[in-house]
Amino acid sequence: MNRVSSVVNRSFTSSGHEQRIRGNKTKDLNITSLIDILTILLVFMIKNISMDASQKNAPEGMLLPTTVTTNELIESGQVVFVKIYTDKILYGSENIPVSSLQDFMLKHDIRQSLLQLLQMESRKIISMNGKPCLLIQADKQLECRFITEFIKFSAQASFANIYFSTIHTDDKNEVLGS
Amino acid sequence: MAYGPSKNRTGSQHENREPNLIPIMNLFIVIIPMLMTIMVSVHLAMIEITLPTQSSGSGGDDSGEQTEETPKELTLGLLIDRFEVKVEGNEDVMKIPQLASGKYDFITLDQTVSHMKKLYENQQTINLIPDPNVKFDILLRSIDVCKSNGFPNIKYLTTATKYYKAK
Repeated sequence: MNRVSSVVNRSFTSSGHEQRIRGNKTKDLNITSLIDILTILLVFMIKNISMDASQKNAPEGMLLPTTVTTNELIESGQVVFVKIYTDKILYGSENIPVSSLQDFMLKHDIRQSLLQLLQMESRKIISMNGKPCLLIQADKQLECRFITEFIKFSAQASFANIYFSTIHTDDKNEVLGS
Repeated sequence: MAYGPSKNRTGSQHENREPNLIPIMNLFIVIIPMLMTIMVSVHLAMIEITLPTQSSGSGGDDSGEQTEETPKELTLGLLIDRFEVKVEGNEDVMKIPQLASGKYDFITLDQTVSHMKKLYENQQTINLIPDPNVKFDILLRSIDVCKSNGFPNIKYLTTATKYYKAK
């Protein structure tokens, strides 16, 4: 009790002028540790960043198959994206909706319009001295009949180079399922 | 009459001044969200396939030396319940049945394809015939097994060109 009172007294006994100085003094926040963390984060992100166009067009809400091997795009190859979900088809990097899968398989006019679109794109790439490449991003649960249809389509539209998009892994057991 | 050093000057020499980190913080606060938006957490890969050409299967005009060196065609069939591996000119078809319903035996396929590569070292291509009902995942894993065992060229054949005959 004596001790508390002495502290209180001391604070009271100190001059009012001194207290005013202490109140006005703005204490700087120590952000050095925060800077450290942010620097590590920055380095990590710069290392993991990818400027590859195919990486940027990763399909949302799609389960891609996993593979160990990977192929590079051919020289002067220009990619046209086709995203095949279990219920819809999206065209190009702008994700233009084409139709549902059922409509694509059944309706002739939809197939024709998509074929014309692919042919137009192919001619445009060839006119720019590029090689048209079709990158099919399909859901892993999709049946091969749809893939085969797209491969036939691409052949008709002069897309000689066809690629499938997958998720890369270094673990072969993941692919073999062991 | 000489004046003494100013108070500010003496103060700046003795005071331990910290660098102003606020501009760096501002920069970081802008850069880090920007990087987070464009950063990829999964690395996408691409698997290339080739389409069958019109001239495949012919070759009657080729010289005798070339036909001797031409490696035998290998065909991998992806059926709804099994894998089938066929070598050109060989009537026997290697069948790799599923381990369980919907569970393909990729380990045996891997061993078989590896064995095929040892037998036919010059062959770089495998023909692939998927059943229309087989899942895309199975197709790509099979392609991956072939490519990782030294067959970089995968020729995707449609069902119209299946190798087996109806009896």
